Amino acid sequence: MDITVKDLGDGVAVLHLDGRLNMVTASGLRDQVGTAVAGGRNRIAVDLTKIEFIDSSGLGALINGLKTARQAGGDLRIASPNEQVKLVLQLTNMERLLTAYDDAETAFIDG
Amino acid sequence: MAETSVHTLAMVAPPDDVDTVHEMLESVWASAPQISMRDRFSFETALIELASNVIRHADGGGGISCDLTVEITADQIVACLIDSGLAGNISLIARSMPGELEESGRGLSIIHALVDEVDYDRSDDLNHWRIARTLDS
Repeated sequence: MDITVKDLGDGVAVLHLDGRLNMVTASGLRDQVGTAVAGGRNRIAVDLTKIEFIDSSGLGALINGLKTARQAGGDLRIASPNEQVKLVLQLTNMERLLTAYDDAETAFIDG
Repeated sequence: MAETSVHTLAMVAPPDDVDTVHEMLESVWASAPQISMRDRFSFETALIELASNVIRHADGGGGISCDLTVEITADQIVACLIDSGLAGNISLIARSMPGELEESGRGLSIIHALVDEVDYDRSDDLNHWRIARTLDS
């Protein structure tokens, strides 16, 4: 999985993910969120447009990132999941905690 | 009616990992266009959770060998995974989901939600796992 970080300013970073978010790649996401938050960007938008697959390890990395961002006074939001990702979110009752936004670039437009 | 097809994979982890299973399934789906997208990603999710569990928990330190068979019949898709890891000390009874801020503990519940049969047996010093999903009609 590839991760590209885009700084939108105002403490917002967009992480564009590409590939599979599973036990192989989960630690890379945790590290990137940690780096962004340590660099003062505590509002993290995770763009899932190009994530073709997620498992419970990948979900754990998103939850870890959410906690990291919140501990720094921010938040983590996800955007544009595919049908497989939506299924995993639904089965694990995570749709409320990880509400899916349409577009990562505007996920924090309301603050 | 589609014929039964059988696909096999022998892997050693490490260096193989769950991406090896994903790559095998890509060839399975390419050869089975009759399987719906919903069946594909549901079964793939369950199998990857199973393989992740085996790789993560069954490695006694010397790596692990796995033989995976995926069989597609007219009404089912079945995976049999045989591994050389430690005896599976994993309850197959579906647990409730952990608290929403817990980062692990959801894999087995996901498997049970996505397949109709989950079986485990220990014989010949090997773990034998089997999951089966009834295909959409």
